[in-house]
Amino acid sequence: MPIKWVLHWQPNAGTTVNSQILNEVSQCVENMNGIKEGRWKATLTFYRPNLRDQSIQTEFPRDFLGMSLQEQPNKYYFIMRGHRLVVEAESSILTIMEKLQSYKSRVALNFEGVQYQLGDFQLRLGKVVPTHSENLRGIVMEVEYLPISSIEKSRQLMEEFLDIWQEAVSKRSLPGHFMHIEPNFSDFGLSDHYTSQHTAVQYATVLGQLIATVQSAQAVRN
Amino acid sequence: MECVVQGIIETQHVEALEILLQGLCGVGRERLRIHEICLKSGPNLGSVASEVRLLCDLEQPEPTWTVKHIGGAMRGSGAEQISALVRTMVESKVSKNVLRLFYALGYKLDHELLRVGFAFHFYRGAQISVTVSSINKMLKLHATDEAVPVTPGIQLVEVTAPASSDNYTEVVAAVSSFCEYLAPLLHLSKPGISTGVVPTAAAAAASLMSDGGGTTL
Repeated sequence: MPIKWVLHWQPNAGTTVNSQILNEVSQCVENMNGIKEGRWKATLTFYRPNLRDQSIQTEFPRDFLGMSLQEQPNKYYFIMRGHRLVVEAESSILTIMEKLQSYKSRVALNFEGVQYQLGDFQLRLGKVVPTHSENLRGIVMEVEYLPISSIEKSRQLMEEFLDIWQEAVSKRSLPGHFMHIEPNFSDFGLSDHYTSQHTAVQYATVLGQLIATVQSAQAVRN
Repeated sequence: MECVVQGIIETQHVEALEILLQGLCGVGRERLRIHEICLKSGPNLGSVASEVRLLCDLEQPEPTWTVKHIGGAMRGSGAEQISALVRTMVESKVSKNVLRLFYALGYKLDHELLRVGFAFHFYRGAQISVTVSSINKMLKLHATDEAVPVTPGIQLVEVTAPASSDNYTEVVAAVSSFCEYLAPLLHLSKPGISTGVVPTAAAAAASLMSDGGGTTL
């Protein structure tokens, strides 16, 4: 499948994300003649162990995530960054998890927004919101380059595209910038050939950044 | 949900059973070589203890993995009256690192085994699967190449069909009527209710082997 980079909005120190930033960024895509193609959505779920003795937590993972992606509607992904583990399963695994009753979903985040076509690129801009809430927790952007599946072969091209993109966004003097952190995919046993498992790992990485940003903002406030 | 019955047959009659199944099903057999890893939740995990099976299909050029959960059997007077076990069963095909996932989640290895044999999949009133396999245990962890039979000379026959709460009576009827054709060679019943080998097996097998399954049993 085509190579994809998942970026997140990194607010400047002392600032937070708001929907105005998302509006302005969306206008940037439209000014670059991006064609709206509809909506997209992904969901990330945090799981916690269902323990008989709550005092013994240590031996169980605290970073167990599940993810559903619109591009793979019949699949589900589990990610444990601490264990460098990503697992792809058919969606029926969710029924199995329910029956096992060993882990429960604690909270879920939706990534949702608008998809644009920009030549050979597909851009998905979206907000990060907890399910059953409208509180904006972050902004993400997927940049997909349709003709290439190799991470290495597409790297230069993706970097050049991002330079152009960052320049367009910077003209609006917004309080932050888009950031791309590439996980070490080989640590997760993934190859250079891009798959949806790479996407799941990228989202888990973005999530780590979003949490770190919220925590540092709280630390500043306190 | 699935509907299931099991039976056993002596290995010496398996070839006759294969001929009979071939004649009844009209499809070719598939070779079966499945490494089954049974995991149980650790002592503190889950409000109740849970069990999950990881199946690795070693017949594929690149082994494929499936997570299988077998739930409780249907109970009540209705369930007692039917001749097959109806139970919940959910499967999910997964990537090959699934064992690492379950270990990380706090599941422990309970036991593992290797099923070697063949299977027939066909439609006969329901989507029926028949597997005939020898059950082998591993002397060393995951050493499927050095597996030895648990019950030498005896193979397990399992007939299963997917069912739902709406259609299970029809599925049970379809499975039961199919099992009648196998009755001269083996008796199939609900799992856990062993009825042993049938006395007519040797004669039925001899008859099948002599005319290639042409005789109506």
